Formats: sequence, structure tokens, C-alpha cells
Amino acid sequence: MKGTVGKAFIVGAAILSLVMAASAGFAETVKVGVLLPLTGSQAKFGEIEKRSYEMATEEINAKGGVRGMKIELRFEDDTGKPDVGRSGVEKLISRDKVPVLTGGYSSSVTAAATPVAQQFKVPFVISTGSADDITEKGYDYIFRVNPPASEYPNAVKSFLQGVAKDVKTVALLYENSAFGQSSSKSFEKDCADLGLKIVVKEGYQAGAIDFKPVLTKVKAANPDMIYMVSYVMDASLLMRQSKELRINPKLFIGGGAGFTLPEFAKSAGTAAEGVYSATLWLETLPFPGAKEYYDNFKKKYGIETEYHGAEAYAAMQVVADALKRAKSLSPKDIRDALAATNMKTAFGPVKFVSYGKKTQQNKLDTYMVQWQKGELVAVWPKSVATKMYIYPTPHWDMRK
Amino acid sequence: MDVFLQTIVAGVLKGGLYALIGIGMTLIMGVMGIINLAHGQLMMLAMYVTFVLSLMGVDPYIALFIAMPLLFMLGVAIQKFLLNPLIKAETILPENQVLMTVGIGMVLTEIVRFIFTSDYKSVTTTYSERTIFLGNISFSVALMIAFVIALAFTGVMFWFLLKTDLGRSIRATAQDKDAATLMGVNTGRITVITFGLGSGLVAAAGCLLAPVYYVFPDLGGPFTAKAFIITILGGLGSTVGAIFGGVTLGLAESLGATYFGMEYEDIVGLTIFILVLLFLPGGFKRLTKV
Repeated sequence: MKGTVGKAFIVGAAILSLVMAASAGFAETVKVGVLLPLTGSQAKFGEIEKRSYEMATEEINAKGGVRGMKIELRFEDDTGKPDVGRSGVEKLISRDKVPVLTGGYSSSVTAAATPVAQQFKVPFVISTGSADDITEKGYDYIFRVNPPASEYPNAVKSFLQGVAKDVKTVALLYENSAFGQSSSKSFEKDCADLGLKIVVKEGYQAGAIDFKPVLTKVKAANPDMIYMVSYVMDASLLMRQSKELRINPKLFIGGGAGFTLPEFAKSAGTAAEGVYSATLWLETLPFPGAKEYYDNFKKKYGIETEYHGAEAYAAMQVVADALKRAKSLSPKDIRDALAATNMKTAFGPVKFVSYGKKTQQNKLDTYMVQWQKGELVAVWPKSVATKMYIYPTPHWDMRK
Repeated sequence: MDVFLQTIVAGVLKGGLYALIGIGMTLIMGVMGIINLAHGQLMMLAMYVTFVLSLMGVDPYIALFIAMPLLFMLGVAIQKFLLNPLIKAETILPENQVLMTVGIGMVLTEIVRFIFTSDYKSVTTTYSERTIFLGNISFSVALMIAFVIALAFTGVMFWFLLKTDLGRSIRATAQDKDAATLMGVNTGRITVITFGLGSGLVAAAGCLLAPVYYVFPDLGGPFTAKAFIITILGGLGSTVGAIFGGVTLGLAESLGATYFGMEYEDIVGLTIFILVLLFLPGGFKRLTKV
């Protein structure tokens, strides 16, 4: 009798200690706060990024996590609104006590949310928000993986100098948002440098049904090139209605954001053919893990990913790398580790440098892609091109 | 001159679509005295119906005849089971029916997001981007069809309200609910039918908009706001007013886009909204008397 009680006691103690050990193992996670638009009109991109963050985290955790602990993501929905983004960051810092933050999709939200992180002295690794001034405020806790908006068209500039030398006049259309204004302003400067004349410059409200008034003005000015800074569905309507009005410049160029998504081609149909876009990433680029990321994403979620997802995936790689190297898990030490980042990600090499007015900004090349027969192919610079560019864009009436 | 003409054409065509969006709301507002803040969301739902049917190879203009009855029934159900019970409930706020429509709008948006995710979907047809040229002016075929159908629906609604027994009952309820009840009109039933009609009409607008626009779950909000502006412009409860309101808003947006800059599109619309409220309270209905 005594023996059984003793045995039961031992077994019980063993189970108890096991449970405790297990629970202790689970409790030891590193929380990483992620700010993304999960509802609202930008939710589509928020979703791609969220999935990329989750995928990167799963891969890191499968390899043993960081410092023997698993990474746990805490998402906060900014709904695409700056004020919600601010309170989201506050919540992550004060309620969830995250030692490091990442994410930041739209420029407006990122610009509003990063000062909060700076104020609480918690490092924030921006994955997407690209308005230039975000990294021009001298904040020492804010890092940016993606290039600023003004550098998106670098490849476009070299294309105009190298190939499209006969382009003299430009129509500039942009979404009236922080990203659109920042991009259009810097592109205007680029045009001045290249000696191009801007004949029409128009902002528009995102989500408009009818772009014909603006496009009619563009048609009347008959520019050699139309440069558009638009999100995906505005981009598709702009191209569809350009086709309806038979506007025939030598070049249609999208300045990033919407023109590279599969939805753009699906919705614009034949009107997407021949459209160029600046882009920050392609799965065919020679970066370690780029192709794997693209394939795994497609396998896992059944949909294609694009540069926004790659930015998120790389941002997570950067955060995990810093967590591994940091002296401790205090925000200050993580910040110091981030500042010393020098690694290769699926999105390209990441190293935070200061140049011009910018601080802790990653410097990257940009690329140019073109829709050819329903496929997005890299065409510029030549070193990464998978197909020859088609220039000038064929006349609408000449197409089959 | 071409620029001006093209602007006018674009504005009027878009206005036709706006009118159809507005009619449903103005009808509900006239009869029940409440703003249906789920109006845009109901349209979004109709657009998803169109999208699903288009996956099965059904043309958006045929989908119209499926989406309208569906949304009519949904409207009836909303009024009968969600809004009418609130009339009897004693609350501090008299506008709790309006609050209810806000809730319904959110629920619809999130249900759609749950099923279809936040992805943008488009319903492309062969005529989505077809155009007719008159001189240098282009006319979008899809928007022209939408305009004609919008006019036809307004005509039918006008006739229905003036000539039929049910239409007269609806007008009577709109004018004086208590008096109508005393005269033997079943006002409870009338409100249910009106909400159904309003939903059906906005469903038609959704089907017509689908081929030229795109669909995503959060599309409802901005269109609820547009419908509200149109309703105020046209005058509460006036179907003919809604046509005027819609075309005015379409024209104002187009002209504003061409001559002030497209970034001010919404500002132009809202400025007219405020001017009408200040100088013509009651909207165009005051001028036309219908």
C-alpha cells in the first residue's frame, strides 16, 4: 500500500515537473510586434506581408528560433489610418511589451507610427512605408529595409538615358497620398536632371471610378511618356481608360506599387500589355533565398507573392538576425545589434547606412519590368534582364 | 473644346450610375425617414454576386436579374427582422435604426472578407473597355448601357409610385405614416417592401458598375457617402431628384477633375453638397416639385 502511494507520488511529481518544464519552454518566447493594414482598402497588401512574416517566422522557429527561444508575432491592425497605427504601436509597446517592432505598410501610417516607437525607445524595422522623410528625422530607433520612394525610379532613369533617348515630354499622374506625393516630387526632380519637360502633372483620389477627365488632358498634351504612381486597381483603371481613349505615348511606366501585381494584369487585361513598371524585387534576382521564398509562398498559400511580401520576409530575417546577435533582449541592445546589421536577405543585401539627409536607411538597386504577353519579365538593367524590352509601346490600334 | 466635351460626356455617364445608386437610398429615406448607412455595402454584396456568377460564365447584365431579386429578399429580411423590431424598442436614441444599418454594413463587409479575403476581384467582359468614337469624343459602351438602364429604372419607379396601388401606398406612408395607417395602409408591410426595393435598385447599380470598376470588401463606405450626397442634392424621397442629383454630382466631379485637378474631386462634390444644404435645403425636389 505504502509502495503504491509512493510510486503514485513519484509519477505525479514527474508529470508535474514535465508539465512545468513544457510550460516554461512555451512561455519563453521573443515577442515581435508587427504593424500592418489587415482590414481596410490596403488589406490585400497587409495580408501578403502578414503571410510572409508568418512564413519567415515559422522557418526561423523550425531552425531552433533565436537564443533557444521561439519568436512570437503580435500583429496589430492599422486599418490604413495613421491614428490607428499610432495607437497600435502604443498598444504593442505598453501592453504586449515587445522589444522590437516591424511592418509599416503605407507611408502615411508609417510616418505617424514611427515617432511613437522612437519616443518609447523601441526599435522599429520598416518593411514597406517609403515616403522619404520617414528616415530623414534623425531617429536612432528607426530602420528601413526598403529603399525610399525617391529611389524607386533609379532604374527608370537609367533606362531613359540608355534606351528611350527620344523621350522629351512627360505626363505625371500620382495618387494624392504621402507615397504618391513623395514619389512624384522626386520624379519631377529626376525629370529636370534628365532634361525632360513635364507637360501634365495631376494628382487624383484613390478609388476613383472615372479617370477620363485627367486622361483627356493627358491626351491633348500628347506626351512621349506617362509616368503613374498608383496602387493596383487605380493602375488597372488608368490603363483600361487610356486604351479606351487611345492615348499613345512611347512609354507607359508605373512607379512601383500597383503595376507589378497579378491582379493588375488580370483586371486590365490586354490594356496591361507593354506597360513598364519600376520594381524593387523579382524572384529571378540572384539573392539567396529569393526563389525559395517565392516558391514556398506559392506552395503554402496557393497565390503569387511580389515585392511587398519579399520586403516583409526580409524584414523578419533582419529582425531575427539582430535578436540573435543582441547582447540582451532589451530594446536598446536590439537597436545596437540592428545598427550593426550586415547580411544577405531574400530581398537583397541589408546594411543600414546614413547618406544625404537619411539615417539608418538600407540602400538597394531597383529594377524595371514589363508586361509581355501576360507575363511580368525583368527587362532592365541588362544584367538581370530575362527578356528583351519592347520599345516603344505599340500603338493601340496597331495591336492584334 | 474636345477636352470640355469629353469631360461633360464622362460626367453625365458616371452621373447615370450615381443616380441609380442614389434612388434606392432616397426611396428608403423618404418612406422610413432614416438613412440606410449599409447602402454601399448592399451594392458591394451585389457586385460579389455578379463576380461569382461571372466565374460561372454569366454575363453581368444577366446577373442583374439574379442579383436584384436576391438583394430584394435580403432587404426585406433586414427590414422585417432587424429594423422593424427596433421601432417598438424603447431607447434613449431615436435613431437606433440608423445605428443598426451601420452595424449591418460592418457585418456584411466582414462576412464578405471572410469568404473572399481582401483581394481585389474584377469582372472583365469583352465590352468592359469597348468604346465608340464620335469625332474625337469617346463613349464607354459599358457606362452608356448603365446610363440607359438607370434612366429606365427611374422611369419605371416613377410610374410605379404614381400609378400603382402599391406605389400610392408607399407615397402615402412617406407623406404621413400615421394618417396612412388610419386609411388602412399596412405601413409595416410598406416599409419592408420599400427596403427591399431600395436594396434591389442598388443591386442593379452594383451589377452595372462591376464591369467597369473592381470589387473588394471595403468598397461600400465611399459609395454610401456618395449615395447620401445624391439623396440630399435631389431632395429626400424624390426619384427624379435622384437622377438630377446623380448627374449633378457626376458632372461636378468631372468638371472639377478637369479644371481644378482630380485630387479635388471629392472636395468639389462635398462643396456642392454644402451649398445645396445652405441655399436650397430640400434639394432639387424644391425646384421640380416631384
